[in-house]
Amino acid sequence: MSHQARPQPPRWAQRLLAWIAAAHLREEILGDLDELFHQRAQRQGYPKARWLYWLDVLLLLHPRLWRRPPDQSTFLHQYPSDSSQPFFLRPAMLRNYLTIAFRTLSRNKLYTALNIAGLTFGITCFLLIGLYLFDELTFDQHHSRANHIYRVIEHKVVKGEATTLAAASYKLAAESGKTIAQIENTTRLSRIGRANLINPENPVNFQETVTNADENFLSIFDFPLIQGDKYTALKEPNSIVINEDLAMRLFGHTQVLGKTLQFSHLDAPLKVTGVLKNHLRNSSFDFNSLVSEATYQNTDFYKQTVASGWSSADFSVYVLLRPNTNAETVSSQLTRLVLANVKPEPGTHLSYRLQALSDIHLHSEGIIDGARNTNVEAMAQGSLFYIRIFLFIALFVLGIAGINYMNLSTARASNRLKEIGVRKSIGAQRSQLIYQFLVEALLITVLSLVAALLLVNILLPFFNSFVKKQLTLGWGTDYRIWLMTLGATLLIGLLSGSYPALLLSGFKPVLLLKGMKINPRGSLSLRKVLVVFQFTISTVLMIGTIVLYWQVRFMNTTDLGFNKDQLVVIDVNTGTARDRFETIKADMAKIPTVKNVSVTSRVPGEWKMIRTVKMHPPGKADDQQISYLIGADKDFLKTFEVDLLKGRNFVNPADSMSVLLNETAARLFNLTEPSGQWLEIPTLSWGGEFRPVNPDNTPFKVRVIGIVKDFHFQSLKAKIEPLVLAYHQNPIHGIDYYTVRIDANGISQTLEKLQSILQKADPDEPFEYHFLDQQLAVFYQEDARRQTLLIWVALATIFIACLGLFGLATYSTEQRTKEVGVRKVLGASTVSLATLLSGDFLKLVLVANGIAFPIAWWVTGQWLQDYAYHIDLEWWMFALAGVVAMLIAFLTVSYQSIKAALVNPVRSLRSE
Amino acid sequence: MKGTQLGEFEELVLLAIALLYDDAYSVAVVEELGQRLERPVSLGAVHRTMQRLEEKGLVNSRFGEASAERGGRRKRLYTVTMTGEQALQEARRLRNELWAGIPKTAFGGPTL
Repeated sequence: MSHQARPQPPRWAQRLLAWIAAAHLREEILGDLDELFHQRAQRQGYPKARWLYWLDVLLLLHPRLWRRPPDQSTFLHQYPSDSSQPFFLRPAMLRNYLTIAFRTLSRNKLYTALNIAGLTFGITCFLLIGLYLFDELTFDQHHSRANHIYRVIEHKVVKGEATTLAAASYKLAAESGKTIAQIENTTRLSRIGRANLINPENPVNFQETVTNADENFLSIFDFPLIQGDKYTALKEPNSIVINEDLAMRLFGHTQVLGKTLQFSHLDAPLKVTGVLKNHLRNSSFDFNSLVSEATYQNTDFYKQTVASGWSSADFSVYVLLRPNTNAETVSSQLTRLVLANVKPEPGTHLSYRLQALSDIHLHSEGIIDGARNTNVEAMAQGSLFYIRIFLFIALFVLGIAGINYMNLSTARASNRLKEIGVRKSIGAQRSQLIYQFLVEALLITVLSLVAALLLVNILLPFFNSFVKKQLTLGWGTDYRIWLMTLGATLLIGLLSGSYPALLLSGFKPVLLLKGMKINPRGSLSLRKVLVVFQFTISTVLMIGTIVLYWQVRFMNTTDLGFNKDQLVVIDVNTGTARDRFETIKADMAKIPTVKNVSVTSRVPGEWKMIRTVKMHPPGKADDQQISYLIGADKDFLKTFEVDLLKGRNFVNPADSMSVLLNETAARLFNLTEPSGQWLEIPTLSWGGEFRPVNPDNTPFKVRVIGIVKDFHFQSLKAKIEPLVLAYHQNPIHGIDYYTVRIDANGISQTLEKLQSILQKADPDEPFEYHFLDQQLAVFYQEDARRQTLLIWVALATIFIACLGLFGLATYSTEQRTKEVGVRKVLGASTVSLATLLSGDFLKLVLVANGIAFPIAWWVTGQWLQDYAYHIDLEWWMFALAGVVAMLIAFLTVSYQSIKAALVNPVRSLRSE
Repeated sequence: MKGTQLGEFEELVLLAIALLYDDAYSVAVVEELGQRLERPVSLGAVHRTMQRLEEKGLVNSRFGEASAERGGRRKRLYTVTMTGEQALQEARRLRNELWAGIPKTAFGGPTL
């Protein structure tokens, strides 16, 4: 074996040992191990020797390895300072670091308080946002096979018009499981809509949203059942599974297995075969009852229509793939399977793809949530855009807090230069000083973390109520959140502590003791940059808050084209309430406090789906336009106070084929004067696709009798779309609401009277009503919530930035005590001195404003583009934010400046 | 008295140090004991024992020469002190007395 090729002991093991071992043992132990290694390498071969080396190192781990010699005379010992060993292995030093850290912190109470307050704020924001984000990002992850569950998405292009729909057919679900090997199982859901679900022992009319599911549903997903068996609960016809909430509402307890329920869509009673736990808050599913699909399967109608369809979109279909399957391949297999069974019309392109369960919450933009009745709300979606923004903000606030700490401790450093000098000349090594500063930083971060944890738990109820979640932080919280929290805290502590630690420990002791000053120019410029940075962010956030506030205000107060105040919208739920509407309406109108009553299929500011239709002038079937359609009676215009621009209103049932158009729709057909022009409506939207209005495929022919002024019948986020007001007796959409304009006085009495009229006509009718203005506000609730959040974040950043500024002002005035003294002696006035001392900082804030304005202008501009109707950015919004920032900065700094300017120069010049 | 009491492994290590006399250091002890006991002896155990023996004053140590084999590091050589020798003698005496006290019939009596 040549000399060069001689194998060497494992370097990592050597380093590890050298690091851990006490200095007086290091040499001999490493030597011993080397010797053993070489012997073994010769006798037993290199790999074995290497392995045994590691084993020996492991077996050496024992307190004796790192304990220092029991010799009392540490000073005179052969190895006086063993600083190369990590400090946490030497309890004496650790104790010393902590003691010194506590002493330093308690000596500078102001700085400590500023630091802890800043970091606490930062960590609190970070934690709250972190909890929110974690909840959003783990949607639907609680199913044990969540990674293998996919939703089937249908993509259809008809003559260049694309629709993407989260729905598929009965057959697709039934056959794909049998013919595609990679699919383990499939399940179908259909949200059939609202109906009365009644406990016969205690009949109360209450509309429940009912969902149908096949027998596989509960075995593919893991919705935990309190009672019942998940494999058989949905197997039998006339079975229903309900959740705890519904069980409590219907029966008053949850021990309801085997009880029966009356369901208004079916003759036979349903038997409760299972009770589900309530949904977790981060579940996309919100059903509270599941009726077994088998209930319907036996009827001939069902067999012939629904169950034999390949191309319909009546079901939400979920597939469970086998492990290690590529979803892309299965998608194309699905497409092929369907195309083998349906022949799409020419010009129609049909394809299917699989969407992962975990993507449903955040990645469903552009996908219509199909397979639901028009009165079922779509699955709630999260917004990836806001998630990114929040993530950014969380990191930012935390970063700013860290910067603050760094800033303050560097600033304070000059007061500690003497201390460091003395320590060094006694024999402290650089690494010991670094540890000292790091321990201080960690101590501060840990204290802040504890404070932040308390604060978060205090704030969570408020936070929850406005993000509409049920977040908690406690022992039960997911371990990943704790890991993230601890990681972030340690990182902040180490990063923000490392700069002062490295900077301060590097100076020469002689210079320090001679009274060296840290070069104020160099380090100050860094601090200036940091202050500018903090104030830039604060100003941008402030401008964002102002803009959003005005936008939300604009949306809530702008003239919608109709009068939304004092309008009560009453749902029509039963057939009787619908058929006898003439009498009901007449009775309602007789109440003295009722001004007007109208019946409609939908109302402006509608929260459910408004039906759309395709229409075209007669004979021009190619010139199809899509328009919304609302069925309304002759009192509609009067009740909603919508302006009729031209033509006439509906008069009597003879107008059943008349329509009013809004201005946008009229422009679409180039109508300026309504004079009974004919239009044809061949198809209407149905679950994401268009279906013929009449079974015999003939179009519904209407005449335009009037044009109404455009009004915002949808949220202000959307442009005003074309709208057709058809007579309430139309084949497209029957009446669903009574809208009553009432007097502002005695609202509750009026409501009682309305209820008695409705229930006199039909005792089964649950009296469901909404105030339209409140419903409209719901559109902008999300924006209002974001506004609140933004205000808080802006406040937090301003607060933190002010803490930093205050600390810096304190420091810089302290540094300039002598200068102020000299100036005063020479005759400077208090005011001029205060201005001088504050001026520097105000200049920084001005610079920050200069940077913040263009950024804010661009960001808020982009953001307002999301709103079809929005305010314009105005100069005063920027000016206001700038002035507020200046004012806050001035107040922060002036306290210190004025204090310094008032000091008697004798005192400041006496020393030295 | 706990200080002078010798544990079994301590006694073995102390004897090995005496045996190796001029070249008694940890690796040599590890090998010596490993061969005689016919089982691997860990360096850690030997080290700790030697430290304990030194704390009890039973051995003295000094640095020996460095060698390339050891990566240029010195070894720590041990010698048994007077107290150490006394402790060994004492242990041996105790054993001898015990041996002498065993009745002849105790071992293998009935097989005769």
